[in-house]
Amino acid sequence: MVRRAVHVLEALARSDIRMRYGRGRLTMVKWLLDPYAAAGVYLLLVAFVLDRPGHAAGLSLACAIVPFQLVLMTVLNSLTSVQSRRSIVVNMRFERALIPFSSAVAEAVGFVATLTLLAVMMVAYGVEPTPALLWLPVLVAATFAVAVAVAYPVALVGVWFPESRPIMLSLTRAAFFVAPGVVALDEIAGSTADWLKANPLTGLFEAYRSVFLDGTSPAAWELLLPCGFAVLTLALFVPLFRHEGPQLVKLVE
Amino acid sequence: MSAQIDARGVGVQFHFDRQRRVLSPTLARFRRGGPAPWALRGVDLLAGPGDGIALVGPTGSGKTTLLRLLGGILAADEGSLSVRGKVGTLLSPAAGLLGLLTGSENAELLGVLVGMSPQQARAAVAPIKQVSGLGDSFELPVSSYSEGMRARLGFAVAAQRDVDLLLLDEVHEALDHEFRAAVAERARAVRERGGIVIAAGHDHAVLETLCDRAVWLESGGVERDGEFHDVVDTYVKP
Repeated sequence: MVRRAVHVLEALARSDIRMRYGRGRLTMVKWLLDPYAAAGVYLLLVAFVLDRPGHAAGLSLACAIVPFQLVLMTVLNSLTSVQSRRSIVVNMRFERALIPFSSAVAEAVGFVATLTLLAVMMVAYGVEPTPALLWLPVLVAATFAVAVAVAYPVALVGVWFPESRPIMLSLTRAAFFVAPGVVALDEIAGSTADWLKANPLTGLFEAYRSVFLDGTSPAAWELLLPCGFAVLTLALFVPLFRHEGPQLVKLVE
Repeated sequence: MSAQIDARGVGVQFHFDRQRRVLSPTLARFRRGGPAPWALRGVDLLAGPGDGIALVGPTGSGKTTLLRLLGGILAADEGSLSVRGKVGTLLSPAAGLLGLLTGSENAELLGVLVGMSPQQARAAVAPIKQVSGLGDSFELPVSSYSEGMRARLGFAVAAQRDVDLLLLDEVHEALDHEFRAAVAERARAVRERGGIVIAAGHDHAVLETLCDRAVWLESGGVERDGEFHDVVDTYVKP
């Protein structure tokens, strides 16, 4: 049964990548364009408009943009994940709960390509690699867990309230700014920094900064809070999505 | 093979809010206010090995909904339903095809969804191309296909796997004569092996080639169930 689920998941993700990103070498360019452009824009904002460049501003930004890119793209994909597969949802019998998961898997392939942004920024700012980079697989796993977790509620919102898709995207983008996305947590004064920790993205961003910028292991809370959020969200929404699965035909028909 | 269908008093209800948006049953608990019509209600259907059943009735009578229930694509909101055997579905000429993917890519995806491993699905692509008769179009996006080409591809995928219960919804009506014969042959083979074929549509001449029993659905309920000609003649009588 698990094997069958893996087969279906792989097939859904593969078809999703082809539908969303096309085929051929240009696919890689499409994956890279967005995070690199976002890094450039935010760098201009931080260095010139806000005049708060801080230490290795480009790398600090990349530490937030890279994980956020996976979450944002997964939200974007999940919002229409059921609708874009309408034809198979209304015609074929398969485990519907794999649909949001496949959205995260499809976007994770592009996410791997965006990791190059971190390497580029490390070179650009002359930041030497340290053994802390061994934490990278853990960071990637935590980021993926958060992306999969948000995929389920977002996919449900996408079918329950299709008119709210633009609001969901705006909320996701807002989550970047209600976390230390543009400036690092230690540059935020007072109790605001404590409040920002409630955002699961905060832990992710700071964990990337610990590893790539400071060359240290991430603090426990930096990984436990996002992973705890992921576990709770999955525990709540996977059963709900499975419950809704056999009713999705009514909503997308 | 021992295909079996035992449906007793099954019903499917649709919920709407005040703005006439469709709600799932979960959402309907919190956002009541709109109409809640039954697409099917109190439907009994028993079928066993070798049965060929035509679903007839006007548009909106519940034929597609009943096929989706039997195919496990939709859940019943009331009643009990038991389906035994491997199910193969062709519930629209689009047949589960995704328009942006090529025929080849769709064949691979649908192959996995109908139960093949990725390796088996990849190996089945060449036979599917041959059976579908799509030629070079097989490598083009399905959005460029006619309805008949889509139905051919969908049928070619379904034909790669032995099923105990074959569900067809107006698919054969989108096909040319050559392929209708292939569908009829496939249906006959399923029934001869002890499977069940259920086909819905408005082309009664085609349905007659697939089925010897008919169920007339009217407003979501069974109006009549019996020998094909008896039921269809009564249904079409002015």
